[in-house]
Amino acid sequence: MATLVILIVFALFLTAIWTGGYDKQLLNRFRSHWLWDWITTVDHKKIGILYLIGGAFFFIIGGIEALLIRIQLLVPNNDFMVGDTFNELLSMHGTTMIFFVAMPLLFALMNVAVPLQIGARDVAFPFLNSLGFWLFLAGGILMNLSWIFGNAPDAGWTNYVPIASNEFSPGTGIDYYVLGLQISGIGTTMGGINFLVTIINMRAPGMSLLRMPMFTWTSFVASSLILFGFPPLTAGLFLVMFERLFGANFFDVAMGGNPVIWQHLFWIFGHPEVYIVILPAFGVMSDVISNFSKKRLFGYTSMVFATILIGFLGFMVWAHHMFTVGMGPVANSIFAVATMAIAVPTGIKVFNWLFTMWGGKIRFTTAMLWAVGFIPTFVMGGVTGVMLASPPADYQYHDSYFVVAHFHYVLIGGTVFGIFAGLYYWWPKMFGHKLGETLGKWHFGLFFIGFHLTFFIQHFIGLYGMPRRHFTYQPEDGLTTLNQISTVGAFFMAAGTIVWLINIIKSARSAIPAGNDPWDGRTLEWAISSPAPEYNFAQLPQVRSLDAFWFEKMEGNKKMIPAEPLGPIHMPSSTHWPFIMTIGFFISGLGFVFRSLEVGVLGLILVFLTMFIRSFEQDHGYHIELDEIEKTEKGANA
Amino acid sequence: MSAQVEHKGTQAHLPPHPEKATMESRNKVLGFWFLIGAETVLFACLFGTYLALKDSTMGGPSTEELYQIPMVALATFILLTSSLTSVLGVLGIHRNNIKQVKLWFWVTVVLGAAFLGLEIYEFFEYVHEGHTFTSSAFGSAFYTLVGTHGSHVLFGITWIFCLLIQLSRRGLNMETAPKLYVASLYWHFVDVVWVFIFTVVYLMGKVG
Amino acid sequence: METEVQQNQAQQETDPTPESAVKHLLSFALMIGLTLVAFAAVMLEVVPAGMVIPFILVLAVIQVFLQLFTFMHLDLKNNRMTVTFVMMGLIIGAICAVALFVLG
Repeated sequence: MATLVILIVFALFLTAIWTGGYDKQLLNRFRSHWLWDWITTVDHKKIGILYLIGGAFFFIIGGIEALLIRIQLLVPNNDFMVGDTFNELLSMHGTTMIFFVAMPLLFALMNVAVPLQIGARDVAFPFLNSLGFWLFLAGGILMNLSWIFGNAPDAGWTNYVPIASNEFSPGTGIDYYVLGLQISGIGTTMGGINFLVTIINMRAPGMSLLRMPMFTWTSFVASSLILFGFPPLTAGLFLVMFERLFGANFFDVAMGGNPVIWQHLFWIFGHPEVYIVILPAFGVMSDVISNFSKKRLFGYTSMVFATILIGFLGFMVWAHHMFTVGMGPVANSIFAVATMAIAVPTGIKVFNWLFTMWGGKIRFTTAMLWAVGFIPTFVMGGVTGVMLASPPADYQYHDSYFVVAHFHYVLIGGTVFGIFAGLYYWWPKMFGHKLGETLGKWHFGLFFIGFHLTFFIQHFIGLYGMPRRHFTYQPEDGLTTLNQISTVGAFFMAAGTIVWLINIIKSARSAIPAGNDPWDGRTLEWAISSPAPEYNFAQLPQVRSLDAFWFEKMEGNKKMIPAEPLGPIHMPSSTHWPFIMTIGFFISGLGFVFRSLEVGVLGLILVFLTMFIRSFEQDHGYHIELDEIEKTEKGANA
Repeated sequence: MSAQVEHKGTQAHLPPHPEKATMESRNKVLGFWFLIGAETVLFACLFGTYLALKDSTMGGPSTEELYQIPMVALATFILLTSSLTSVLGVLGIHRNNIKQVKLWFWVTVVLGAAFLGLEIYEFFEYVHEGHTFTSSAFGSAFYTLVGTHGSHVLFGITWIFCLLIQLSRRGLNMETAPKLYVASLYWHFVDVVWVFIFTVVYLMGKVG
Repeated sequence: METEVQQNQAQQETDPTPESAVKHLLSFALMIGLTLVAFAAVMLEVVPAGMVIPFILVLAVIQVFLQLFTFMHLDLKNNRMTVTFVMMGLIIGAICAVALFVLG
């Protein structure tokens, strides 16, 4: 019935459009509206900002979920959020923070900075860039719709079967997880391919691989991890979907299945995933620390080598999340040794950052504060990781708050601090003005103190025996005071986040122009105006060294030497097809969540139709003419 | 004001290797190779799942009893041949010979459709024997792996078919040539996956 | 963009070795041969029992490399990055498949 209605409405629309029965003037008003500009943009700088807004939005949601969890755990036997609701909160908190906050915010930084750092005018596939963003947003919205319609995913961000199977999780909850993540994952994979091709093929003349800034290198390796790490998740999600929706038997022991298959597939993805979210943060650290120490990065080549090694080893360690599953001592030992080995290249990086700072002229801007705060925090997370890497010890730590403490130390101390550092660093390049330094320092202080208050305590909460994913504890457990301290810290972090939001608004209001190069930068993005012009570089620069811009400054040049003559610049056209295609995916996802095969297939038909139409499209972009380029450049230099 | 520029549809002289001639085409080819890399890992996971579950037949027919090797052999030769014909089509692109391109890619589409027909018939036979998607873990794993490959074949012949329409309308130029090259890369990848399927699923299944 | 095409054209017009169909037909013949041998090894039981599976796997790998380096125009000199990533994909794929098989 629903399908019939939709098809009739569809047919009416098409008839109306094809018979010209629409208002051309109204359409033109739509087309010139700023909202349409943002919906159809293929400009990497705008897409970066879109990712920032999306990621920040889900950060608030994930943060509220965390606060609700911590409030529940304030006192023993609390009845604020219990049972299924608590399970939904913790599952959505984890899934949201990793997939809809960390990854998009890192994609924001990558979109904004990587093309500029390599001297390119955009990414290799601007259309795919836009599509990737809208798919992420659609997946995030789809999954969070579960809060509104009831029955959110509640089997943890890890979604283990058999608890995630129909028998123990009837209803829509897990289906939201499966479809939301599948759609968002497709977008992420596209983003990964995009950055790989961009970095390999579109570097400015003279920029060899070993002259790229570290942020670009880490984005490159992270993109490789995305490329190879997401397919196992895709496969696993399809298996869960087929089992839940179509009666397949992959994980049901009674029908010959094996639940541990999901665990393997999930963690073969899951471990590279955490390296995906940490490597770009490492890259930000390298760029920020070298900039604000006024010194080139110590041991650049070893940093590159370490990054590649971390990426490669990241695929060999996944079963350290499964030590207690029963794989046996041989398998456990192999994965334990590989896990401990990763500490070595990571350690090389930490020492290189310290040696960069040593003897440098350090400026403690907010970005630098985040970077300096990151080093001890991430190292603490790293060493508890080595503790967890020992299988006999892990039998004690597994599923306790000790693990929760470890991963929040590396995820927040690493990824979140890295994101904040990157945002404060590249904010002027994105928006033309800096974020306020005073409010920035309050943001850092509140958040840093709150973070350690919340999570340092949790090491001990775990060692004293409190399991994770439990919605309460008993008064006689002796955990009450510790949990309360942990909750107080969460509110400090909330306060810090609010200060950040106030900072954003206040800085936008006063909008003091930052100029091309507010930080006396070393890399190419600081050689052009802030914000960057539409075409990025009027003339692609000739790169003569690592820290390309700094090299020219030391040679006495105020600008980069151009590698090509001034000429009209070819730009890709905006397009609404990514948005339409995403609507197709969204409809399909929603259809499958509500177990309506017809709506699910209808959505997919829309997707394929859009692909077909797009393939036959002949829009080859447009040119920015010489006079406009010269006008923009003059304005920028005024 | 910036002007919309419509590039001319046909070019007088197509370079010998259009897929390498511009930044855009090089990007497309490299990007597609990366997609192939990702899909390799995807199929590998489905292979692993199949290998883990292939003995869980729940009393139904085992791999030794079930698989119809002659049909599989025929399908294999059809798909292999279609891989050859697609590369002959690419040769046509490199020689700027649109007739050659059309001929060989049409043959590829027809052979691909034949493969698919054979496979669907094969599945019907298996379902008659009681080997279905929901009958056991083995069934689910088998149909997911081989079915995913089959849907890739379906997508491939649809894609090449659409490109052949574009070719007829717009001729062989810098826009259509790289697309056909990329589609043929996809088609070879689909054949590569089938090499592993006939080896790991069918031949290993017969050995037991 | 047009200048780039012209530059590449000029380069390739001076390149004296045009592609030939013979190389591809030869590859094809080899692939058919490898396939026949694999089917024969299993159906006619000409290879000792324990050796059959490694044998047909090796034949499959050889055929895949033939596909990659002839049909798919992959060449080691100019496409180092592509070759690296394809190999990485194969290695990681092999790890996934074997792990699921052994540990699953």
